[in-house]
This record gives sequence, structure tokens and C-alpha cells, in this order.
Amino acid sequence: MAQAVAEAIQKNYLNEKQGLLSWLLTTDHKRIAILYTFSITGFFFLGGFFALMMRLELLSPTNWLVSSETYNKLFTMHGTIMVWFFLIPSIPNTLGNFLIPMMVGAKDLAFPKLNLASWYVFMLGGGVTVYALVRGGVDTGWTFYTPFSTSYSTTYVVAAAVGIFIAGFSTIMTSLNFIATIHRMRAPGLTWFRLPIFIWSMYANSVILVLNTPVLAITLVMVGVERIAKVGIFDPALGGDPVLFQHLFWFYSHPAVYTMVLPGMAVISEIVPAFSRKPMFGYKAVAFSSVAIAALSFLVWGHHMFVAGESVYVAMAFSFFSFCVAVPSAIKVFNWTATMYQGSVSWDTPMLYAIGFIGLFTIGGMTGLMLAVLGLDVHLHDTYFVIAHFHYIMVGGTVMAFLGGVHYWWPKISGKMYPEGLARISAAIVFIGFNLTFFPQYVLGYLGMPRRYAAYPEEFQMLHVLSTAGATILGVGYVLPLCYLIWAWYYGRGATPNPWRATGLEWKTPSPPPAHNFEVTPVVTAPRPYDYEAMKEELQLV
Amino acid sequence: MSKSATLACREQFRTPAQQRETASVGMWIFLANEVMMFGALFTAYTVYRASHPQAFDIGSADMNIMLGSINTALLLTSSLMLSFAEHSAQAGNRRLIALFLILTMIIGAVFLGLKFTEYYQHFQEHKAPGVWFNDSSPYANSIQMFFVFYFIMTGLHAVHMIIGIGILAGLLFRTIIGTMTAEYHTPILFGGLYWHFVDIVWIFLYAIFYLPGLHL
Amino acid sequence: MNEPALSLKKYIFAWLGLLGLTLVTTLIAFVDLGVWSAVIEIGIAAIMASMVAGFLMHAFYETKLIKLIIAAAIIWFLVMITLTLGDYMTRGWLPFPGK
Repeated sequence: MAQAVAEAIQKNYLNEKQGLLSWLLTTDHKRIAILYTFSITGFFFLGGFFALMMRLELLSPTNWLVSSETYNKLFTMHGTIMVWFFLIPSIPNTLGNFLIPMMVGAKDLAFPKLNLASWYVFMLGGGVTVYALVRGGVDTGWTFYTPFSTSYSTTYVVAAAVGIFIAGFSTIMTSLNFIATIHRMRAPGLTWFRLPIFIWSMYANSVILVLNTPVLAITLVMVGVERIAKVGIFDPALGGDPVLFQHLFWFYSHPAVYTMVLPGMAVISEIVPAFSRKPMFGYKAVAFSSVAIAALSFLVWGHHMFVAGESVYVAMAFSFFSFCVAVPSAIKVFNWTATMYQGSVSWDTPMLYAIGFIGLFTIGGMTGLMLAVLGLDVHLHDTYFVIAHFHYIMVGGTVMAFLGGVHYWWPKISGKMYPEGLARISAAIVFIGFNLTFFPQYVLGYLGMPRRYAAYPEEFQMLHVLSTAGATILGVGYVLPLCYLIWAWYYGRGATPNPWRATGLEWKTPSPPPAHNFEVTPVVTAPRPYDYEAMKEELQLV
Repeated sequence: MSKSATLACREQFRTPAQQRETASVGMWIFLANEVMMFGALFTAYTVYRASHPQAFDIGSADMNIMLGSINTALLLTSSLMLSFAEHSAQAGNRRLIALFLILTMIIGAVFLGLKFTEYYQHFQEHKAPGVWFNDSSPYANSIQMFFVFYFIMTGLHAVHMIIGIGILAGLLFRTIIGTMTAEYHTPILFGGLYWHFVDIVWIFLYAIFYLPGLHL
Repeated sequence: MNEPALSLKKYIFAWLGLLGLTLVTTLIAFVDLGVWSAVIEIGIAAIMASMVAGFLMHAFYETKLIKLIIAAAIIWFLVMITLTLGDYMTRGWLPFPGK
């Protein structure tokens, strides 16, 4: 009898079927999430390697490590890989893939084979981009501005564009899957306002991706056509306007940056209530603000082009809308904070990352508002201020949220606990390293240090050295979790189904979950999500 | 359990109706995604046409209105044939499904044949952009830009047509081997949605490339 | 399968209507109406597109969610084209170079 029980406990999605082929041909969303995790981790460290090279070069005011041409390739490849092969897919394709079906009470996503196909498409896109890298790289900047990318650059622009084009299809496939799943596969009783905020934010994120990625795809095709045919839509010789490229590119890329932060917000919205033991304050406000961010994010793209030659009147409109889009983000920050207020807060690693996110995202967001002011942007455009702004959001925001989420759901995914003490130290190292890296960059930008320059005036050297020192510490902070999480996968302490005593359907399954998540489709009767009050008694028994 | 029944309710769904609704949501989201893709090209076209209205009219006057309008009529008829195929699928009549799918594919192929004939004509008349272009009127540059758009947008449309014919061929195969029944024929409906969508794109392409120059 | 079946008659009438509109818009294009030419041509194309979507793709008979998806696609496309045109239409209004 005990033997049978032990065997029943051990049958989960990890050991159900063994062998490499069972992983490469799986349609189980949880296994696909793990496949993606391998991919994006690899790309993260590749992009990080380029960042390290850049920071080393910037230790000296003159070119000491690489030539300026090589430096151009470094920042291009860093940006390209980080944006398309890490930031956009990270949380959705790993945590999203794993959790969305479980959180809505489904056995899998709506289209499991499409899910697997999306991973192969992603790897194909990544492969083509790495090919471009290995052949010599691209030097146009991740923004591929014309006419340099179409007419003057001699690097592998078309190959990189093809790689990104292919990866875009992977994104569309995943997002389509998520939207269909969230709309039509919720368990009985799971109405929209009983869903975790994670689902709301991932839903809004997926809607953005479905609408903006095709625009990028076709814009890259146009760049490729112009490069190959030597004549095209952005060609000034034909009366074409290079700024039109910027319109089309940023129509995609501005919502794209929100697709990098919304998943981060999704994770934080799960961690904060769990570690404050309180329901999400202002649940509906937070839910609607996710949708509002998605909608408003499409109206602001011109704020990247204030000094590119667009008309002043449309610039004013874009500036105004940029102020508007900050409001729902601020609403989220206020509500997370209010959730913690008078809550029973515990400082486990996920919560440390979440608090770091809230603080750093706020700073990044405020500096974004500064950039949205037309007058200020004239001074700050294309300086390190912009770099600091978006790294505060993407690294201080998204990457910290990703790490927080990985730690929070680690017991569920692996069935093991990670070492808490070491994890907290790592979180502190990441926080310190991050701020030391990027805060000096705000000052640098304000003082006038341009971005994408390998050589700079001597008076900026001190700040650059500080930044590089921080980057080294940050790098250590990233390598540590890689090591102890892999260690914990094999040797960690076994985890219970709900080690954090959190609400949510995913915690009602064993750790790790069985292949089909739920033996019987759950029926949701709790009137509210995050119902920590009502579940107090029940949870204490676990 | 018959093959159709298994296909009609895969593991992750609770009922066949849920599967069909979910698949429908997925298909329409894909079409929304395609709207944005072509939409970016329409946006770029509109920007340039607004800036160079005369040149675009002149460029459009060089289009072959006979071939263009015949192609439009052909595509609309192919959509009708496909609707008949969908109707037959609901009745479960395999012969008729196959017949109408074949008719749709044939008409699609004729469309493509006429399209490529047109392209060839443009090359002959030195209207194809790039090294093949030759025009000495004052509007030459903008006219060339018109043709850049013409080739990219109708080319992308033609690619979609080719993919569409491939999809219809796949549906034809599944009809012949018997997996399309009155109980489960969703792939035919969704293949139809794709084909009709490509038809809609053509309707707009016709309006923006063939019609502007007719009044000259 | 319980999705609404359109009668063959509706399909044929939609097709005839579409052919008719193609003829109409082609004939109108022969007349020079200035900027209204474009408006009418695009307008008729939009009507034709709605007919294909509504009758041949059954969009009129689909669930609210599907209609929302269609609306979202159209609205987002309009946002893209409006704000982009907004830039080009308002350039040169100020007496500064490049503005």
C-alpha cells in the first residue's frame, strides 16, 4: 500500500516519459516551458557576454579593447539578442507556458502542438541570428534605422532580419495560444474577475504581441527588399522617407517594450499578495490597468522620434499620450504597495525581488516621464540617460521579476526547494550590482555622454568605471542563481504542494504536477481571488 | 471512437463545442494579426500617395485594368466556390467538397497565372523598380516608388495565394481520405476563412493600384 | 456541428453583389472626382470587404468575442494609419526648418 502511494506520488510531468525524444516531441506545456528556459538562459548569457565586452571597453576613454566598428556590432548584437531572444520570450514562454493552463484549471493550452512548433520556430530564428553573428555580426543598432541599414551598412543585416522575422512568428503563435486558452478554457466558475492578475497581465501582453509583431515582420521584410533590390520604400532617391521606417519600427517596438514589462508585472502581482498574506488591493483597478497599458502603449511610439524630424504637433500628441500611459503603471505600483500595507510581510527571496522590482521600476518609469517631456528629450535623446531609463525597467524590472518568479514557482516546477539563504544573498548582490551599474548612467546621460560611443571625453571616465564595476557584481549575481538552482534541481529539499501557502489553482496540484495538471477539472466556487482571509484556516492545515 | 470524433474533441478540451469555439478564436486572432501585417504596408502606401498624388495616379494609369478586373472577378468567384465547399462539408458530401475545392484551386491558379503575366508585362515596359526601371517623365522617382509598393504588396498577396492553394490541397487530401465529415470539418471552415481573407486583401489592392489612374 | 449554415442563395446573392460593386467602383474610377475618388473607391472596397467578411466568413453570425477581435484589428490599423499620417500632414506648419 505504501509502495503504491509512493509510486503514485512520484508520477509527474518530469518522469512520466523518459528520453530525449520524449522531450523534443512533447506537447506538454510544462515540458515546453522547460525547453524554452534552456533557450532563453543561453541567449541571456550570450547577450550578457556582449554587455560585458562593452563595459570593459568603456573602462577607458579611448578604444583599448575593440575598434569602434566592433563596438557597433557589440551593442547591436547585445540589444538584438536581449530584446528578441530574452526579454520578450522570457516570462511568457517559460512561466507563462507553465502556469497559464494551471491557473485557469485546464489540462493544457488550447493548441499544444502549436506550442511545440513555436519553440522550434524560436530556435530556428535564434539559429539564423547566431549565424549572422558568427559570420560577422550586424552594426546598425538593434533599431535597424534606415538608410544606414538599407544602403550603407556592410554587415549581415538581412540574415539578422530574417532571424528576428522567424522568431516573431514564434511570439505570435504563443500569444495566440494564450489568448484562446484564457478566453475559452477556464474551469467552470472561473469568471474573469476571479482570475489571478497574472492571467490578466499575460492576456493583455498577448494581445499586444498579436497586433504589433506583424508590423515588425513586414518592416524587416521591407528593409531586406531594399537591401537586396537596391531600391525600396525608405529610399530617399525615390522620394522615400527614412523616418517612415522609424514610424513603422516604433509602432511595433514601443508596445514591444510593454510586452517586456507586463509579464514582469504579472509575476509581481502574484508574489506580493502571497508574501503579504493579503488580497490584491484594488484588484479590478490592477486588472483594468493591464488592459489600459496594452491599449495606450500603441499610442505613444512617436516619443522615440521627437528629434527625428516628425512634426511638432504630432510630437505633442505623442508626448501627451506618453504621460497617459504612465498612469496605469502607477496605479499598479500604488496597489502593490497598498497590498503590502498592514499585511503580514515575509522577506523570502521572491518578495525581495518583487520589492526590488517595485522600487526600480518606479525610478525607471519616472525617468521615462522625464523623457516624454519634449524639452527635456531634446537634451537627453540618444544619451546614457535613455540607456539607464530602459535598463532600470528591463533589468531592474523584468529580469528581477523573472528571477523572482523563477524562485517563487521553483518548488512547483521542480518539486524541490532552493537554498533560501544563498538566494537572498544573491538577490542582494543583484540589487547592489544593478544600481551601481546603471545609476551612474543617469548622471552620464545628463552630463551629455552619448550612447553607442566607444570613445568619450576623459571627464566621464570615473562614472564609466563605477558602472563597469557594478556590471561585474551584477554578473556574479546572475551566475549564482544559475548554479544553485541547477544544484537544487537535483539535491534540493523536497517541496510540498503549497510551500508558500498561496492561493491559486496551480498550488492545488502536487509539486511537481502530473502530466495533465488536474485529474478532474476543478470547479471554482471562491467568490474572490487571493482570498487569504477565507483560506486562512484551510491553508494552515497544509 | 471514430477518427472524426477523436479529432473533434482532443484531450485538452471538455466538449467538441469548446474545441470548435476555441479554434475559431485562434483562427480569427490569426486573421487580426494578418490585418496588421498588410496594414503596415497600406499605411506606408497611404503616406506616400498623400505626398505624391499625381505621380501615383500616373503610375496607376499604367496598370492593366482588364487583367486587374478579371482577376478581381476570378477571386470573388473562387470565394463563392469555397463557400459551396463549406456548405457541402456541413452536409457531409465528400464528392461535392472535393469538386468545389478543386474549382477554387483552379481559379486561384488562373489568378496567379494572370498576375505573373502582368508582372512580365511590367518588366517588358520598364516599369519594374530597380535596374529595370526606365522613365523620363518629371515624376519618374515617385512613379518608381508606386511600382515598389505594387510589387511588394501584390507579391505578398501572391505568396499568400500560393500558401492558400497549398492549404486547399491539404484539405482536398483530407477530404479524399475521409477525415472530413459532417461531424468534423472545422479545417475546411478555417481554410475558407484564410482564403476569404486573402480575397479581402485583394479587394483593397485592386482599389489602390488599379483604380486611381483610370480617370487620366 | 451547430454553427449557422448560410443558405446557398445568400452566398450567390453576396457574390452577385460583390461583382456588381466591382463594376460600379471601376466605372466611377473613370470620372475625375479629385480627392473624393480615393474616398469613394476605398469606401466601396470597405463595403465589399464587409460583405465577404459578413456573408462568406459568417462574421455577422459569430460570437461577440469574434466580433470584438475583428473590431480590434480594424481599430488598431486605424490607429497606426491615423497617427502616422498625422505626422506627415502636420509637417511644415511651423516656420522652422524640419518642423
